[in-house]
Amino acid sequence: MSKESADLLPGTLDLLILKAVSLGPQHGYGVLIRIGQITDGALQIEQGALYPALYRLEHRGLLGTEWGTSENNRRAKYYRLTAAGRKRLREEVDGWERLAAAMAAALAARPGEA
Amino acid sequence: MLTRIRTTWRALTRRLTWERELDDELRLHVELRAADLMRGGAGSEDAVRRARLELGSRESYKEEARAAFGLRWFDELRQDLRYAVRALRRSPGLTAVAVISLALGIGANTAVFGVLNALVFRPLPIPAPDQVYVLQGPHPTFSFPVYRDFRDRNVAFAGLAGSRLTQVGVDSGTGAERAWGFLVTGNFFDVLGVQPALGRFFHAEDDRLPGASPYVVLSYDYWQNRFQSDHNIVGRTFRINTRPYTVLGVAPRGFQGTEVFIFPEVWIPMMMEPLIETPWLENRASTNTWVVGRLKPGVTAERAEANLSAIAGMLAKEHPSTDSDMQMHLARPGLVGDEIRTPVKAFIGGVLLLAGLVLLAACANLAALLSARATDRFREMAIRVSIGAGRGRIARQLLTEAVLLALIAGACGSVLALALLRALGHWQAPLDFPVRFQIVPDYRVLIFALLVSTLTGVLFGMAPARHAWRLNPNDLLKGTQSGREGRWPLRDLLFAAQFALCCLVVTGSFVAWRGLAHAVTTPAGFQPRGVAVLSFDLGLAGYATPETGRPFQRRALDEMAGLPGVEAAAYASSVPLSIDQSGTRLFREDATDMRLPSGIPAAVYQVSPGYFAAMETRLKAGRDFTWRDDAQAPPVAIVNQTLARRLTGTEDAVGRRFRGRGRLVEIVGVVEDGKYTTLTEVPKAVVFWPQPQTYNSQTVMIVRSTLPEPVTAEQMEQAIRRLDRTLPVFGVGSLSEMLGFVLLPARAATLALGAFGILAAMLAITGIAGLANYAVSRRVREIGIRMALGAGAGGVLRSVLGRMAALLCVGLLVGLAAGAAASRVLANIVFQATSRDPVVIGGVILSMAVVGLAAALGPARRALSVDLLRALRHE
Repeated sequence: MSKESADLLPGTLDLLILKAVSLGPQHGYGVLIRIGQITDGALQIEQGALYPALYRLEHRGLLGTEWGTSENNRRAKYYRLTAAGRKRLREEVDGWERLAAAMAAALAARPGEA
Repeated sequence: MLTRIRTTWRALTRRLTWERELDDELRLHVELRAADLMRGGAGSEDAVRRARLELGSRESYKEEARAAFGLRWFDELRQDLRYAVRALRRSPGLTAVAVISLALGIGANTAVFGVLNALVFRPLPIPAPDQVYVLQGPHPTFSFPVYRDFRDRNVAFAGLAGSRLTQVGVDSGTGAERAWGFLVTGNFFDVLGVQPALGRFFHAEDDRLPGASPYVVLSYDYWQNRFQSDHNIVGRTFRINTRPYTVLGVAPRGFQGTEVFIFPEVWIPMMMEPLIETPWLENRASTNTWVVGRLKPGVTAERAEANLSAIAGMLAKEHPSTDSDMQMHLARPGLVGDEIRTPVKAFIGGVLLLAGLVLLAACANLAALLSARATDRFREMAIRVSIGAGRGRIARQLLTEAVLLALIAGACGSVLALALLRALGHWQAPLDFPVRFQIVPDYRVLIFALLVSTLTGVLFGMAPARHAWRLNPNDLLKGTQSGREGRWPLRDLLFAAQFALCCLVVTGSFVAWRGLAHAVTTPAGFQPRGVAVLSFDLGLAGYATPETGRPFQRRALDEMAGLPGVEAAAYASSVPLSIDQSGTRLFREDATDMRLPSGIPAAVYQVSPGYFAAMETRLKAGRDFTWRDDAQAPPVAIVNQTLARRLTGTEDAVGRRFRGRGRLVEIVGVVEDGKYTTLTEVPKAVVFWPQPQTYNSQTVMIVRSTLPEPVTAEQMEQAIRRLDRTLPVFGVGSLSEMLGFVLLPARAATLALGAFGILAAMLAITGIAGLANYAVSRRVREIGIRMALGAGAGGVLRSVLGRMAALLCVGLLVGLAAGAAASRVLANIVFQATSRDPVVIGGVILSMAVVGLAAALGPARRALSVDLLRALRHE
């Protein structure tokens, strides 16, 4: 954990999970690892927060589940994106990008520009 | 939404699998994490331990997962229920009072609804019952030719069937017995779409020519009870009214035709009518036929009504003297068209409303008691709030408790209601008319009970829940009572409301009782006390013609007159206020418009000489009939006052003439008005024809005797048996018994409302006693001090119970006012309902005062026996 890490903004965990799963079905631990990979380790996810978020997304119908075999030959619950989940991911990404752009513009402002 | 329900449902119903899957997932996580850690150089045991630590406790995941899957609500419910059961167990007295009073209230409502459901809502037990309607013109009956015209000309119905209630003498080899049945057109069973339980039905082609279809179909009950379910009955020959008929089959179980009240025993093809009754099939003036039809697929009731009205318009032109003015519409089958459906609905609806008020009173009662107890549970709640329970949770907890209470009571109440409905099924109609209340409770009744219980629970649970909602945690922690009790706390308002409702219901029962008393003593134009009656129909035993029947009636009358103790004897075609009533149209002597609908309607009785003496009906003017008023003598009649006025414009009508029976008839006597079909009717016009000039095979023997009525009735029956052993007799008993049917609504109302009144009084007592006890126990210390300071008993009572007494007075006044306002509703239930009757008002005030005093006695005694020392040690 030598790299600088950032705290998660509220609501971004769901978005990260959806994004991670959209790259291909994954089991719980795999989701955690993949988030680490795609954020390049910059965002720290509490292991304890992962599963409740997965359950919540499953309950809302954004994630589907199926049973498969893990890399160490164990029965594993794989999460995949449902159609509703894909739609939700698109919306969240759009929203996030708008927010990020707005934030970036705001923070780039210099005295006299306003 | 669907996935939500699915995931919640799965987690709920397959809990073990669900938890195992959760474990599997977490275990895999730990293993993979440990493997990663080991790759980073950790030892295997250390890696597993660290992986576990990082993930956190398995139990907390389960909690979180349950919350995520929407299970928290269920978990909390389970908690609440467990807690509620404990709370209810802790105060068994209150629980018992609550369950009993609610069970009675819910039971009463469910039973009344069960009756309403069975009579009004439940469809007939036939295929596609919503397609079946009965025709309703000015009356629910039509002449057979009119039926035939509707049947042949309409384009809206897949079939129209006619039926006529009748009685027949059935001899299956063991002597003739009277049976009730229907003459029905051949297509009757096919229109209704039923299949026989045994043998076959007759069809349209079996019912073409008069007298040519001697077939009979038995009802299931009749087959079962009278013939012990004999499977060889099909094909046997019965003698019906002395003629042979072949038994074709047995109708399915539960099938009773189209009327819910009437339980026929046999069905006979309509074309046999001329051999069973005085022939009327081809007479357009005899409206005897009920008509039922099944709509063609896709035809609406409105279109069918338009079609029928168009046909009625044509018939009015073709047969102006009989068929004018037929307004046609369709009615649901079951209750003689709209004829009795409307009053039955109003009656039961009114009773249901009162039952609802009783339940509402029970609700208010419990709400007051429970919110009083909620105040007492104040400390318990304070603790719960201070350890972090939300006010919402506590309110929900109290509501759960109330609903649980209501559901327990609802279950008890439903059992009660079912027992009540079953008892009603065993009720026997007066003098063997084929009427029964076969009330089969179905799922609708159970749903009703469940809904009512839940609603009740929510309703009375609101008061304590509201109390908890308004708890102020700060006050609680400081240990002061939640001080926001206004000048009129909800509890007091509920108490007054409860008492007002009880007064209203008690008013209702007083009104009903007065109505019954009134109905019983209302002058009916005759004196039933001391009169015994016996009926027979000579047509059932082969005396079809006047030549054979009239001598038999004379002989029977002579036998009656010779019985011991007889003061007067006579016979008539029927008696007033019995089921069997018939009517005719009469015309003034100078009438020019002789079309039937423009005649003066009048009820008809064919009576023997001596009838008025035997019935003690007063002759106002003129003379009684004599045996010389026979077929050779000029036609004569006796009329009642109302008819005299309508025919001649004066009651002094003796000697005047009018047109009836197809000729000019002279009035020889005028008798007092009476009641003829119902006790509530407006004065009706009635004509009496002399039996020697007219003949009716339907005979009621009337004997006024000094001996008790049952003794006389017994002797009458033996006398008739001596004359003809094969003649079936029925309706043997006292005249008062025969009139029982007329008093049925008044009796039912008095019974139902009386029960509600008692229930309401009981509720009032428990309510008052409960609250008074509570008031006393809360103020034990204060009472003790007051008494120690020398306050008298009166002063103490005033201070403790004065407020309650004031509330009771307010409740009483409101209840009486509401009772006066509810007169119109009561009028649906009770004949001449007046809640402004001083006897009713006085009775209500007196009985409620007794109730109040009885309830307050115990608590008052407790208040006065407070011992200062013990009171001070209290708390």
